[in-house]
Amino acid sequence: MVGQRNWNRRMAAFVFLLPAVLGLIAFQLLPMASSVVVSFSDWDLLSKWTDIHFIGWSNYAEVFTNEKSYMSIKNVFIFLIGYMPVITVLGIFLAVLLNRNIRGMKLYRAAVFIPVITSWVAVSIIWRWLLNGQSGVVNYLLSLAGIQGPIWLQSEHWAMVAIIFVSIWKDIGFVSIILLAGLQDISDDYYEAANLDGASAWSQLWRITVPLLSPTLFFIVTISLINSFQVFDQVLIMTNGGPAGSTSTIVEQVYRNAFQYNKMGFAAAQSWVLFGIIFLVTIGMQRLQRRWVVYER
Amino acid sequence: MKGRTMAAIRKGLTHLILLAVSVMLVFPFVWMVSGAFKDSLEVVKMPPQLLPSHFRFENFVQIGEFFPLYRFLLNSVGIAVVTTALQLIVCAMAAYVFAKIAFRGRQGVFMLFLATMMIPAQVTLVPLFILFSHMHLLNTYAGLILPGIFSAYGTFLLRQNMMTIPNELLEAAFMDGATYYRVFWSVMLPLVKPVLAALSIFAFMSSWNSFLWPLISTNSKELMTLPLGLSMLQGKWSTDWNLLMAGNVISFVPIFTVYLFAQRYFIKGMTMTGIK
Amino acid sequence: MVKQSGILLLIAAMAVISACGSNNGNDSNGNSSSTNASTNGSSDASANESQEPAKDPVTIKYLTYTANGGQENTLKSMVEAFEAKNPDVKVDYEVVPYADYDTKLTTLISGGQAPDVYELGYENFRKYAGKDLLLDLTPIISADSSFDPSTYKKLAYDAFNYNGKQMGVTESFSDVVLFYNKDLFDAKGVKYPDASWTWKEELDAAQKLADPANGVWGTYSPFQFYEFYKTIAQNGGGVFDASGNPTINSQANIDAVQWMIDKAEKYKVSPAMNDDTFSQPDADLNAFMSGKIAMARFGIWNFSRFKDAKFKWDIALEPGNTQKAHHFFADGIVASKDTKQAEAVWKFMKYFTSDADSVNKRIAAGWSVPAVADDAVLDAYYKQAPPESKKVVIDALDSLVLPPVGPKPEKWGELQAAVTEQLDKAKFGKISVKEALDNAQKSVADLLSK
Repeated sequence: MVGQRNWNRRMAAFVFLLPAVLGLIAFQLLPMASSVVVSFSDWDLLSKWTDIHFIGWSNYAEVFTNEKSYMSIKNVFIFLIGYMPVITVLGIFLAVLLNRNIRGMKLYRAAVFIPVITSWVAVSIIWRWLLNGQSGVVNYLLSLAGIQGPIWLQSEHWAMVAIIFVSIWKDIGFVSIILLAGLQDISDDYYEAANLDGASAWSQLWRITVPLLSPTLFFIVTISLINSFQVFDQVLIMTNGGPAGSTSTIVEQVYRNAFQYNKMGFAAAQSWVLFGIIFLVTIGMQRLQRRWVVYER
Repeated sequence: MKGRTMAAIRKGLTHLILLAVSVMLVFPFVWMVSGAFKDSLEVVKMPPQLLPSHFRFENFVQIGEFFPLYRFLLNSVGIAVVTTALQLIVCAMAAYVFAKIAFRGRQGVFMLFLATMMIPAQVTLVPLFILFSHMHLLNTYAGLILPGIFSAYGTFLLRQNMMTIPNELLEAAFMDGATYYRVFWSVMLPLVKPVLAALSIFAFMSSWNSFLWPLISTNSKELMTLPLGLSMLQGKWSTDWNLLMAGNVISFVPIFTVYLFAQRYFIKGMTMTGIK
Repeated sequence: MVKQSGILLLIAAMAVISACGSNNGNDSNGNSSSTNASTNGSSDASANESQEPAKDPVTIKYLTYTANGGQENTLKSMVEAFEAKNPDVKVDYEVVPYADYDTKLTTLISGGQAPDVYELGYENFRKYAGKDLLLDLTPIISADSSFDPSTYKKLAYDAFNYNGKQMGVTESFSDVVLFYNKDLFDAKGVKYPDASWTWKEELDAAQKLADPANGVWGTYSPFQFYEFYKTIAQNGGGVFDASGNPTINSQANIDAVQWMIDKAEKYKVSPAMNDDTFSQPDADLNAFMSGKIAMARFGIWNFSRFKDAKFKWDIALEPGNTQKAHHFFADGIVASKDTKQAEAVWKFMKYFTSDADSVNKRIAAGWSVPAVADDAVLDAYYKQAPPESKKVVIDALDSLVLPPVGPKPEKWGELQAAVTEQLDKAKFGKISVKEALDNAQKSVADLLSK
């Protein structure tokens, strides 16, 4: 009986996983494996892949010695430090507000998601104006508070801050909608019980919402981390990596090395170093999740 | 009495914050829509004017001179719908295993899934291209759809949600003689509907916006999608931003519709409360 | 256990990959079976051709970017006209946006699916020719009695000559000239710019024309890499010396960059370097269009943008300092070394670049300026006004500077990025021009030594 059940379970696991695993091997792992091979070569994409020529570890050595490559790794960490905490906290906050039962909620929910759907290319122009050093709205608002704003996108110090800011603007809807979907799973009973106990809104947030939302929150944090390590589109469109390389990121360098500088081997090595960093961080997250993510209720 | 005032204040405050946030989030979009009706220089005029000096509806017609709009739109819709549907099924099946069917090495396979998200698409592009050319899948609909179906991201999202479903619930179903298939279809899927709805938005969106792969893998106009069309509005030397905006407005509408539709499933109390 | 299964899967993946690899190797050794899918159809056709004279048309693949952004119909009509004249050739063309052209082309080439014939700008041409990817046309040209190189503008034609081998044919070109607002000149009673002007005359006029109260600037030019290499040439400088050694920090170059900055910061006849308005896309075109700039260095592709300007405008040669210098951007078409259809490809290249029919179509559609020598052919182009002095576009070619690709064309992209980074720093006076160019000199020298 137990044996039968075990057999069934294994069969089920096999059958349910099969399509995903097959697709994964064919369209993800195979290309990934070949990019490992490429990372040990000096392939320039201008010779056929069958004529590939191997050069050992020197691409990997260059990742850490090449000044541009090194700087792009640093920049990505700056992005991460600015972006992650803000988007997570704001996301929870916004999701909770969007979960309230008030009139016009559908409109708010629609509004919040609009930046997520709007294309980077289309909004980049208006953001460049909003962030304009002399006539931009952002600096006008700052001036009301007595602060003289910088020339955001042309300043080596502030361009990355501007990129972080605009990225949060673009992604906040995504984060809060996912969290909102997660909030649907939390029964009102918990809050009613807490209300009867006289718990404040703040303690309800920390004692009920965050723990019960933690599986979704774990997803958001992991995904945001993986995505921000690979920040690219907004950089290419808003600043093209400038000024003076101050917003250059790893994937931006990967793209240039692969398709503009014809250094595919180096681009692959850079990607695998990036992979290593993300992988370590994700493993760390997996370890930590046991302390704060609650699956069983 | 006091409680009621507090509630009213809270409500008012919620409205106020959401309104302010909405304005901040929507303003650039409004500007994009107005830009779609401007002429090619007015659209980049500084400081910008909110409304066009006169509405050029012909911008939307003019796009059709750059690429076959309807054909591309149709391709985009078809590919996105099929990709989304298949992705939801494949991801939900895998997520079910990762959440509820334990086997040795499961965690390892799951990490492998996650790992596929950690490598930039730029370096797997060329191997994928070579692979597809050997499979004779370049320049086919299948070639456009296949890579979009298998999403570690979607699997992860659904798995996180399925983990929260109490095991007792599943055990009860097995006691009643349900098969794994039955439990998946009649217990798991209905319970994760809001997340399925969310995932369908993202799956649709990523297929809809997909640019690099269609660019590389197609060469026939019969198969091309809207993002490729929009890139055709940009010349080597100059870009008519107004047309680009108009194109983006067209591209915006279908995803937004999907979003509004899927959003209906984000209704409180639909999922767990009834069952517990 | 967990890790083991992961590693096992990876090894399996590698095994499959390497199996694929060796498979393909066999294919290309065994040859002719199916080296690549794209030319399959055409190689069949050529096999037929050699056996029997009555034959199916051969198909050649053409990849292009200049037709993107609105000229695809012109391309189509040119291809149709070509096919009508050459029933034995079919052209299968594909238009790719400029921004993504390198990505698509390199992917095709690396996958063994290079198009038979494709378009390349001068900079990329040097790179591709250097990598030995292109078909040497020299023997074909000398065998073809119907072809005369003097049909083309010599400089444009020679731009596609690599180490004595003609490896491409020039198709069209663009340059940059001085645009000026006649109304503003008239209002201040300033004489119009002419070919004799130098930086000094430009500055004198700009000082008279600038009207800060009304936000009118005397003269304008962007501050970026392309403007840099041309401006230093106008001062007798250059990125490389004759033997290909970098000379980025020469005194002539330093003075030229200083002049670019001084126009804004010292003489205040140009927008300040930190004027953020001008960093918006097309902001400079807009300012000229609304009568806020008296003189500006713009590309000739902007003519149609100013068609409806509310003032009179014209163009002139750019003032230089010690000598004249003008940008020259050439696009040419090249044939893949691996093409099996050299003959058909050559027919198409000839037709596309210099046949009267295709040249006229190109001009009529306002696509680009064909690089043909015959003034009579270009007459239609000259007549398209404004601007009146359209011949300036051609006159500028007498003092053209090619992009300084240097001795290692494959490093061009990185070279550009290295110099740009330093220009960014000098722009706001973070470091002096001399320091910036010293740094740039050092990084370019490093780059080339690798």
